[in-house]
Amino acid sequence: MISLKDHMWLESRVLENRMPQPLRGIIGLVLSLLFFYGLWWIFMDPRGVLKWYTPQYGYMYIRWILIVVIWQAYVFNFWPFSLKWRESTHPVITGAVLILVNFAIVGAVIWGFFYNFLGHYSIPYLSVDRLVGKGMTEFYAREYSSLAILMFAAIASWLSPIVPVCFENHPWQSMKQPARGITVFCVTALLSVLAFFCLMHPHYHVLFWPWQEYAAAFPWWYEFAHTLHGNFNVGWVMCGTVAIWMLEVTFDRYPFIMIKNKIVRGVVGFLGVLAFAWLLFFVFNFVQELAWGPAVDGAKRILAPDWRYLHSGELAIMMLIPAMILNFYFDNGPKKYGPAINIALRFLIIIVSTIAFHALYYKISPPLLGTQAAYSHPQQFPMAPGILFICVMLFHNWFMDFWPGKKRVGNREVMLDEDGNEIEEGVH
Amino acid sequence: MGVSRRNFLKGLALGGTTGYLAMAGVSSTVMKDVFVPKPLVGDTDIGMCKSIKCTVVSETSWFNNARVVQDMKDAGGLLVNQYIIPWTNTGVKEGYNGNNAGGYSTLIDIEFMDGTKKKMLLDCGWNTDWMDVCFKREGVDKMLDNKEIDLLFVTHEHFDHYWGVESVMKHDPGIRVIVPKGFYKEGFDLLKGANFPVAHVKNDFPHTGKLEVRESGKVHPIYPGVASISFDSAIITRVLGEQALVFNIKDKGSVAVTGCCHMGIISFLQEIKQRVKGGDKIYGVQGGLHISPFEDWDPQYDDLIKAIPKYGIEVMGCNHCTGYLTAEKMVLAGLPVVQGTARFKSKKKLYLGNGDQIKFG
Repeated sequence: MISLKDHMWLESRVLENRMPQPLRGIIGLVLSLLFFYGLWWIFMDPRGVLKWYTPQYGYMYIRWILIVVIWQAYVFNFWPFSLKWRESTHPVITGAVLILVNFAIVGAVIWGFFYNFLGHYSIPYLSVDRLVGKGMTEFYAREYSSLAILMFAAIASWLSPIVPVCFENHPWQSMKQPARGITVFCVTALLSVLAFFCLMHPHYHVLFWPWQEYAAAFPWWYEFAHTLHGNFNVGWVMCGTVAIWMLEVTFDRYPFIMIKNKIVRGVVGFLGVLAFAWLLFFVFNFVQELAWGPAVDGAKRILAPDWRYLHSGELAIMMLIPAMILNFYFDNGPKKYGPAINIALRFLIIIVSTIAFHALYYKISPPLLGTQAAYSHPQQFPMAPGILFICVMLFHNWFMDFWPGKKRVGNREVMLDEDGNEIEEGVH
Repeated sequence: MGVSRRNFLKGLALGGTTGYLAMAGVSSTVMKDVFVPKPLVGDTDIGMCKSIKCTVVSETSWFNNARVVQDMKDAGGLLVNQYIIPWTNTGVKEGYNGNNAGGYSTLIDIEFMDGTKKKMLLDCGWNTDWMDVCFKREGVDKMLDNKEIDLLFVTHEHFDHYWGVESVMKHDPGIRVIVPKGFYKEGFDLLKGANFPVAHVKNDFPHTGKLEVRESGKVHPIYPGVASISFDSAIITRVLGEQALVFNIKDKGSVAVTGCCHMGIISFLQEIKQRVKGGDKIYGVQGGLHISPFEDWDPQYDDLIKAIPKYGIEVMGCNHCTGYLTAEKMVLAGLPVVQGTARFKSKKKLYLGNGDQIKFG
């Protein structure tokens, strides 16, 4: 009953199905939804316990949970936790331990690195204390710094998977962990910082008054994007993140996987993902124009150009969720035709599901999640619950091997083992 | 899976061309011309009036910005239901008798083409003690007693625009009331005489007059030359729906009068241009423009300041949630912001304050 040669995920897990479909998929999905809702209620819901979704403050944590889970699984291959420990320990325990490690790293990054190091010694808008010290109200100080910190994570969540997904860790594929993880982390972190300074830092030129013209460039996108807001870049970067994930979960890395030279595959893949991201961005902007008419310069809410860009990113996330559900819980069907037909049908299912999900989200999220009603609202970020749910699905997949629906029974045709070696045939 | 170089290049060429055409297609003006809906052409004739005079009864919704923001933060942020937030009502140094709550209300005197006049009250503030003082200062209490005010126009359900309803009802419980669609049950209950002790809001004088709920997305004529337009805007503290007024002033053009204008002043002006006959000429604006109410900022607000000059507004009588920072930037951008006198606890002269008046026409 071995079902899934799970070769796209880091190491080739062999997972045994413990129950038939659709029961397996439904149980897995329901468990993920329940865990998501518990986390949302405890940490985020304005009616819940900690009420962190104010919204940027809670949204920041969610963004960082995503990038840290990518680091844990994609970049470091779970180091320092051994494959043996993960195979021999109950998935609930591995899940709990790895999730707690995730949360601890998120806390250390935000409170240690951003608030108390970078915010104090480099960029004041990253530190709540520094902004409050400048006379800003504590609430807005926290919201402003949260937006900046979450943008680091948003950019990193686009760039970090590129090395493992497009380049399959080349040229560092033969390095052992943690050396390879550290290398990939440093390279992607460097790229993320560069991207942040070009794509988001100019937003802070105009956020404060007087304008910070000596510290940050004027938003270079204003002339063609018709907004000074960094949401222009947020939108297409999110489409980029979704594009790379869809390459992985929906397109099975086609067509780039057909290129044999890994470096060429990586470069072409990266550029292809970028092109796909811009295609998504254009299409989602156009769909909004069809629905609500053209954006109006200087307008707020649904007519605001910057919100339209943001919503394109939100639509992309709404597309990724059904794509991941299909892959994770329903065996990424259909699979009975050739690759091109399979992928096309899969994509069609995802598009229809996205439309349904969009309608459903705005109908049920206010009573269910405590979010504001209506599409466009300054405190309405569907990406926050959306990405938290994605994080939970990744926990379920990477940290818990889809327990209880599946069980890890070994590894075969290991594409990348724990040390990054591309070796071995057969189950062990 | 193996693939020949030739097949790969063919696939790449096909995929690249398809992708390029798709991108070029969706972003082309041809596609937009064909598929994107055209703006409506203004066809609602609301008539004409001679002039209006707006008296700022109170534009100081609260007296300490940091305190009101902290109240929301402590309750769980900007999305929490306003009726369950324990708003600070004691110990605020700048407040009215220590209460941080103030309120927003404007008295509008309309002169029609035949020389007759009517008064309407736009919003009724928050703290009833403060509103009682403000109403007395401007003579609104007597006008209500004498039934001289024809209607109470509630722009939206927010605490600072609506919770002072008792100050109106105690003088004229039979007054005609117009609210936008989106009011919650709590809002209607307050009008009927409910008490919300956590939020320190009550109304001991139930409304007995006519209540009208205005659908969003429509122009609703009120008097000759006077209409309201409603929006389904979502607003902080769970509020939904807002309406604002448009006046067609003879020989001048349209005047937009707002409470908070959460839908955005440009969206409102666009609606006037597209839905109201003769709305092309925007003469004036008066009221809260909801840009930086807490003196916070967002680059989107700079977008607005850069875009609004092209609407050709001749008189800009903003205040309240417009924010002083916005007014400062608007003045620097050359916009015709009307200055105030900074009396009765209004803090700066940058825009019209409590007790100030502005006449259009």
